[in-house]
Amino acid sequence: MKVRLILAAAALTALVAAGCGSSSSSSSSSSGSSSAAAAGSSSGSSGKSCKATIAIEGPFTGPVAQVGLEQLHFAQLAVADDNKANGTNVNLVQDDTQLTPSLATQKTQSILSSGAVAAVGPAGSQEVEAVGPLFGRAGMAFITGSATLPALTTDGKNPTFFRVVPNDNIQGPQDANYVIKHLHPKAVLVIDDDEAYSQGLAKTMIPIFQKAGVKVDHETINGTDTGATLANAINSLVTSKLNPDETVTMLPWQAAANAQQFGLAAQQQHKKTILFGTDGTNSPSQFKIPGSYVSNFGPDISQSSNPLDKQIVAGVAKYGPYGSFGVPTYAATDVEMRAIAAVCKSGQTPSRSNVLAQIKKTNIAPSGTPMGVTIAFKSNGDLTGQPGYLFKISSSGKYQTIPNT
Amino acid sequence: MHELIQTIINGLTTGFLYALIALGYTMVYGVLKLLNFAHGDVYMIGAYIGYFVIQWFGGPQHLSIPVPLLVAIMFLIAGLGCGALGVGIERFAYRPLRDAPRIAPLITALGVSFILENSVLLLFGGFTKSYNTESFISPTAGIHIDGAVIDPVQITIFVVSLLMMWGLTVIVDRTTLGKSMRAVASDREAAEMLGIKVDRVISYTFFIGSAMAGVAGVMSGLAFNQISATIGFLAGLKAFTAAVVGGIGSIPGAMIGGLFIGLCEAFASTYISTKYTDLIVFGILIVTMLVRPTGIFGRPALQKV
Repeated sequence: MKVRLILAAAALTALVAAGCGSSSSSSSSSSGSSSAAAAGSSSGSSGKSCKATIAIEGPFTGPVAQVGLEQLHFAQLAVADDNKANGTNVNLVQDDTQLTPSLATQKTQSILSSGAVAAVGPAGSQEVEAVGPLFGRAGMAFITGSATLPALTTDGKNPTFFRVVPNDNIQGPQDANYVIKHLHPKAVLVIDDDEAYSQGLAKTMIPIFQKAGVKVDHETINGTDTGATLANAINSLVTSKLNPDETVTMLPWQAAANAQQFGLAAQQQHKKTILFGTDGTNSPSQFKIPGSYVSNFGPDISQSSNPLDKQIVAGVAKYGPYGSFGVPTYAATDVEMRAIAAVCKSGQTPSRSNVLAQIKKTNIAPSGTPMGVTIAFKSNGDLTGQPGYLFKISSSGKYQTIPNT
Repeated sequence: MHELIQTIINGLTTGFLYALIALGYTMVYGVLKLLNFAHGDVYMIGAYIGYFVIQWFGGPQHLSIPVPLLVAIMFLIAGLGCGALGVGIERFAYRPLRDAPRIAPLITALGVSFILENSVLLLFGGFTKSYNTESFISPTAGIHIDGAVIDPVQITIFVVSLLMMWGLTVIVDRTTLGKSMRAVASDREAAEMLGIKVDRVISYTFFIGSAMAGVAGVMSGLAFNQISATIGFLAGLKAFTAAVVGGIGSIPGAMIGGLFIGLCEAFASTYISTKYTDLIVFGILIVTMLVRPTGIFGRPALQKV
């Protein structure tokens, strides 16, 4: 009896563990397949014979799992929509990197040894730094919807890297200039979260503030901390670093909930400051301190009248609230799906090289992508245009789009 | 002065949570000599139970019952739920390994930790969930001391934690169950020969320790608003550090150790840098192991010859 009990417990454990681990290299279901075909796409050209596999790397578990799962859901929807619209049979496999360069490297090696022809992701700039040379050597295209470190497209180490979001050299200065022009602070507090993304943005903002004569206090928190430890750090920062002069606090963070925590701690300690978050903090359900600003590399499509946007909103509704990471990932996946369809249409079998060549030729009109701007790439993998969006949080916690100039 | 007082308040808030979790570590170590690394995840489950209790009573914006009653129910259900979870973990994961080499339950504890964390992730998703405490308890209310503020949630944490610590001390020092716990901790085989039902005592120990972690989880959600499947890992490590610094196996040691670690964190964040907080805390752990391995209140094990 005892032995049977142990065996049953072991089996249950194995079952749960298997379920938990299934995010690694497991095949995606065609989520959202009920939604209508993507707007503006050609259809039925290649038939079911146009078979290929693409991979998505993202943090599906771990402290920023909400980012990765959002990206995954939007990518799954894009695959389903494009398969339906283009008559392709593309399969999406998922690899959980936990926003960790070492894990991203392992997963990339596994993707490269599989039959995948292109990849979406990874999410973090530090991960792209780690895996870019691997993808480059294999001649395999990978498109991120969130890695914004400028060096990724300038250091020449990532020849097959593309991104559908602007780099920090655009976003950081845009945000800093807006603050100087419209909020007129004497001093700003800039807090990075010790990650490449956050430090990159802080690095581009600070010289602009200093040049404009604004005093800058630059602090760092450990972005990998969670729960009580993180809250203790945030409370202490508010206690010791938030001075009356610092009427604006820049939070280029990856976690919206942390920005909310900072705002609440300031309220609790009766300290007044205007919070200015970047794309990582863009989450209407998590960061909603009234009067705060949030810049973003993707538009808010929740109220859009564009048929494609409406279709995406309906397609991801079942997953609950989402932030700023989904839309660019949909766009990144869509680029790869269209490239595969174009390869098939030209009578070839999708391979890494012909899909890469096709991605380089991408030119999607603003109405055909949820990003709302033309999707075309420079030779270094950056977008030819550089979109940027800014929202102000109203007294009721709603995000209102405002001009970002 | 305001900065110093606020730092102490911040440190005590976190410190009491660490202390409550550390008590579970130390109690289990006392009776089983097991480092229950799943204990931090029990705390995380407690935080989730509290979250669902808020939703059950209409959500933070539309509560159907008075706030004090809600908070009491959250503590009660999280305490009972996590207590039962702790008993279940002991029964199915640790008891079968009681006579195995000590590495086996240790590895199992890590496995249980991952199972709990990933089960929550699968069941409730990766999104951080928010208690939205500010919707039903004003963050700007509270007691003002020289510009520093102790808000109502912090007052609740201080009072409830002290009451629970006092209650635990009474149970351990003055009840039959407490005597049995001390007997099992001292010599399990001898206790069994004296007629003490060791399995039952161990179950009670897990129940009490896990219940306190569950209540700490609710407090964490109320104070820090955001909860996720991963909050237990780091909190568990910090509480483990607190238990070791205080003297693992010692109940007063866990209490003092927790408060000490919480205050160290707060002072390091305020006066040095938030970047070095973890370095300092885990540095304290290493120094303690090197200088006084038994911790502040721990006693060296007797060599039986």
